[in-house]
Amino acid sequence: MKRTIIPVGPYHPIQEEPEFFQLVVEGERVVDMDVRLSYNHRGIEKLCQDLTYDQIPILLARICGICSASHPMAFCQALEDLCGVEVPIRARYIRSIICEMERLHSHLLWVGLAGHFIGYNTVFMWAWKYREPILDWFERAFGNRNHYENFCLGGCRRDLPEAEVEPLRRLLDDLMPKVEMLTKAVLDDPVLRVRLRGIGVLSKEDARRWCTTGPTARASGLPIDVRANEPYAAYDLVDWKVVTQEEGDVFAKAVVRLLECFESEKIIRQCLDRLEPGPIRAEVREVPAGEGIGHAEAPRGETFHYVCANGTNYPERYKVRAPTYVNLPSFKAQVIGAELADAMLIVAAMDPCYSCTERVAVIEPRRAGVRRLTQQELLQMSWAKTERIRRQG
Amino acid sequence: MGEREEVLRQLEARLRGLCVRFWRRNPKRVYVDVPPEHSLAANCILYEEFRGRLATASGRDTRDRIEVLYHYCLDALNLVVTLRTWGDKPEPEVESVAQLFPGANFIEREIHDLLGIRFRHHPDPRRLILADDWPAGVYPLRRDYPARGGEAARARLVALLTGSPQPVAAALGTAPGAGART
Repeated sequence: MKRTIIPVGPYHPIQEEPEFFQLVVEGERVVDMDVRLSYNHRGIEKLCQDLTYDQIPILLARICGICSASHPMAFCQALEDLCGVEVPIRARYIRSIICEMERLHSHLLWVGLAGHFIGYNTVFMWAWKYREPILDWFERAFGNRNHYENFCLGGCRRDLPEAEVEPLRRLLDDLMPKVEMLTKAVLDDPVLRVRLRGIGVLSKEDARRWCTTGPTARASGLPIDVRANEPYAAYDLVDWKVVTQEEGDVFAKAVVRLLECFESEKIIRQCLDRLEPGPIRAEVREVPAGEGIGHAEAPRGETFHYVCANGTNYPERYKVRAPTYVNLPSFKAQVIGAELADAMLIVAAMDPCYSCTERVAVIEPRRAGVRRLTQQELLQMSWAKTERIRRQG
Repeated sequence: MGEREEVLRQLEARLRGLCVRFWRRNPKRVYVDVPPEHSLAANCILYEEFRGRLATASGRDTRDRIEVLYHYCLDALNLVVTLRTWGDKPEPEVESVAQLFPGANFIEREIHDLLGIRFRHHPDPRRLILADDWPAGVYPLRRDYPARGGEAARARLVALLTGSPQPVAAALGTAPGAGART
């Protein structure tokens, strides 16, 4: 059969993480693919070498516009590993609260987008509406909806205001029944089950070979979670469990993320109950020469940071690895053999940033013509498939 | 944690002939220095026998050589083992770990782009990070690359502004006191 190369991307510059996919298709089947990154490389590792240890977390918060706590968290772990700092207990609880609130709003964002991609636009609007109060709470408590920047070497920059504790409990009281409703809607919907089961399967062995992390790995039966494996913040002080699924398909990835929302709620409530007044920052007088490694569990997987210090106020080398960097290459293992109408959904299930799908060109090499597919047309393909399944009942 | 101790003892015994240093920095972090000729074997042992997960690799310019640090997480044991290997300048080379599993593919291409160390037998050694029109042989994370200011950066700016045919690579590499911080 004739092979067609479909370039997807590379980017829309107002979004983060532009990517370029090249899908080789035979008819509707994807038979090969290639991916390229770094169309918006910001040189953050190099910039870090010119910033002091107090300034770096502020920059790192800007690596991602959604999970802006996880990178500063990994930075703090790396530096605390290097300096051997003991973080005060109140700061540990606050760190956990922030990280879990972030996971909640990030997973809700994903649920909304996933709904949009399969043509469930009501889910999209509801999930994003439910997410809004979390961001508002962040603004009231820490001054910003997304870049809360509350982590620093040795603890937290700002205390959690006492006046925001009760509103947070009420927020969870309001939010969680809605998340439960969404979860049931996904788990019980026969159309969704048919639409999402068995596509984009990542086997357990492939998940290991491609070094995936986070929900992508956990949906394939790998129980990797930094929060459990190397407990930081307050994760060893509260009761929760790692959510895994065995199937490795898009449905399993959705289930992992939805069930994780409930674990996040459990963690936040326990942290709030145990929060006691006390110091929030340990004093760090100097950063000695040496090497430190820190990792943290972001909503999308493990963020991994390595720092090499030379005894000055600036790092000699700073290395950042975001979770999508290891999850995205595994797209190759998931998409080959899939239908073109599912390709977008399979990428979305890994929860990278979607900017790449803004503009698509279909090139048919044997003819001279180039056909352009817009994001809308790709979406239409996916929606049409859902509609077909629904009609067949 | 007794299990971690036991695994670390096994690992140390297994890598004894291959590494020049086995350093337990603290109970959760181990650094192993492996000369380049044994790097592939050591990586293979960590990945296959100890079921390590390659979190990532870090490249580092230490003036005389380029170091590559492979960070393996042994998740169940709460342990990160870092294998450090290196290639000597001016033509640094190490054996590619992407031969063993595809998860190492991207990071090795990135380190090659940014630091200019060649990974021998890499299955797909194309450019990943740098733009396609970036001059060959210019590595932006090397110490001698002028990030900001300095005479070399000025020379580059002049070359760009005047449309001088002088290649960017030469403007970057030849100016004295290239403003890199040490």
